[in-house]
Amino acid sequence: MSASQSAVRSRAEAVQVSRTFDWMILFTLFCAVLGGYHIHYMLTGGDWDFWTDWKDRRLWVTVAPIVSITFPAAVQACLWWRYKLPLGATLSVLALMLGEWINRYMNFWGWTYFPVNICFPSNLIPGALVLDVVLLLGNSMTLTAVVGGMAYGLLFYPGNWPIIAPLHVPVEYNGMMMTLADLQGYHYVRTGTPEYIRMVEKGTLRTFGKDVAPVSAFFSAFVSIIIYFLWHFFGRWFSKTDFISDDAT
Amino acid sequence: MKIIKDKVAKLSFVALLITMTAAMFYAPTASAHGEKSQAAFMRMRTIHWFDLNWSKEEVAINDTMTISGKFLVFAGWPETVDKPEVSFLNVGIPGPVFIRAGSWIGGQLVPRSVSLELGEVYEFKVLLKARRPGDWHVHSMMNVKGGGPIIGPGKWVTITGSMSDFVNPVTTLTGQTINLENYSLDNVYFWHALWYAIGLAWMVYWVRKPLFVPRHIAVSSGKGETLITPTDKKAGLIVGVGTLVLVAASMASTNEKYPVTTPLQAGLLRGMKTYQMPEATVAVKVDDATYRVPGRAMQMTLTITNNGDSPVRLGEFNTAGVRFLDPAVHVDETGYPDDLLAEEGLSVSDNSPLAPGESRTVEVTASDAAWEVYRLADLIYDPDSRFAGLLFFWDANGNRQLVTVDAPLIPTFI
Ligand SMILES: [Cu+2]
Repeated sequence: MSASQSAVRSRAEAVQVSRTFDWMILFTLFCAVLGGYHIHYMLTGGDWDFWTDWKDRRLWVTVAPIVSITFPAAVQACLWWRYKLPLGATLSVLALMLGEWINRYMNFWGWTYFPVNICFPSNLIPGALVLDVVLLLGNSMTLTAVVGGMAYGLLFYPGNWPIIAPLHVPVEYNGMMMTLADLQGYHYVRTGTPEYIRMVEKGTLRTFGKDVAPVSAFFSAFVSIIIYFLWHFFGRWFSKTDFISDDAT
Repeated sequence: MKIIKDKVAKLSFVALLITMTAAMFYAPTASAHGEKSQAAFMRMRTIHWFDLNWSKEEVAINDTMTISGKFLVFAGWPETVDKPEVSFLNVGIPGPVFIRAGSWIGGQLVPRSVSLELGEVYEFKVLLKARRPGDWHVHSMMNVKGGGPIIGPGKWVTITGSMSDFVNPVTTLTGQTINLENYSLDNVYFWHALWYAIGLAWMVYWVRKPLFVPRHIAVSSGKGETLITPTDKKAGLIVGVGTLVLVAASMASTNEKYPVTTPLQAGLLRGMKTYQMPEATVAVKVDDATYRVPGRAMQMTLTITNNGDSPVRLGEFNTAGVRFLDPAVHVDETGYPDDLLAEEGLSVSDNSPLAPGESRTVEVTASDAAWEVYRLADLIYDPDSRFAGLLFFWDANGNRQLVTVDAPLIPTFI
């Protein structure tokens, strides 16, 4: 079929077909991002996202935004420069978190019986919303990278704090002080994840005293900016139309 | 050309579905039955578990049991495995079917990793609280950084009752008693649902409009700017500011509700208390050792010298948790797992009491199907074909002493 011959007979029909296309593309995009992003995030963020006793104020805060700003940046590049849709980051993060929730609920809880209150995913939505809004209002990649990327890194810890704070209440256990999250990790036996694998509260930020979370968040925000640029370019490159023959022109 | 394109499209769609589902089906390792697949030398020459005791064979939900005993950190630790400088006392169970209510080495609570010394014996205890009904194989286990999990002997334990009755009460330092099993779960769901709803609302706002084809046409004909209306920008502003306000407000209210929080606790525990075994007065020299493949038996020629002041007899050879006993000297009464106990598996060519100052060369045979079942015989295929184990000697008063052996092993196939 060539482009000069139309497959539809009326404008109304064209609108309908176009709308059907919208849903198909949206659904496919959502599923594709869910799959790719989920695997990527599991391989890079992994245990930091799986377990509450890994959600510390240093490494989790640093790692999670850096490795999770990737797909939002790439999908934004495609949806904004091709369609002027400021949706990329939110769509990516919603897809990821749906996949994560299915996995945590069905497998971690349903199959292996870890309580959901030890293995829920991190909340990435506030940062994603701000990324999309900055792109919409600024219409600029640089601005989105700098302001949006910064906000993405900085909003991560406060955006998750209402969820994890109750688990950071201290408890005395057989003569040792620990948080409830530490106790969860100790109680709910993970044969394959011994305590020494846990990478928490490590790093060189100790000189900053007790306010390490903001310092980690700032560091993470700066790196997020760089990663944003990188993946935004990936997104642009992948959404080129050079791959398919364009006989409409 | 079109057919190829269609095929590629179809294949990539299938690949996509596979990767998608692969990620969603990930579950943390639940199986604890690696004991037989672990290389024989790992089990024979790293951690030697002995005097093990499982306090119960049947436990009701919410009841506790202990697994206790001692372990010797073998002095001839293999080169290929990292030294146990960072180790974690674990239990080998299929996921959290029990919760670990406590674990101790030498009387000290060990929720964190510890540093162990080669050649030392430690006493340990793990307190388990039953959570999920079923028949479970419960192993002692030591994770060694750079060495992996070293699984000790396992015993079947039955948990009865219903998991829905399980509770895990904990009293915090701020004075509340909570049930850690479902503590704060509503809060987790609430915030996730709220943020997800806000994200969806933002999606719906845009998805209401015609999306891909018309917008693509507009953008490629240079009219992209017209796609964003002032209302869109206003909506964006509201969502952006709203997000910041909600984050700030929820953080503030959380801090008010939970004024006392502490960072996660981590760190290595050093200087664990060792267990002093009675000084061994028996010296053992391995003259040679062979493993007879068809007979499933290990034969050792030992020269035993008694430097003590009472006559002794050899009663047990223990390797990788498998215990070969000479029933004339020692009978197990601890309920040790049957498959790991060869009650009459040890025969000594002359096991009459060895008098003080005397020295004797004897043929010792340890035979049992366990050699095959537990794949210990595989050690003849190891690059460094050695065996190691513990020998226990008893005197007439029941005093026991422990001697370790570590020597090359020659297989015979006829
Ligand atoms: Cu087992």
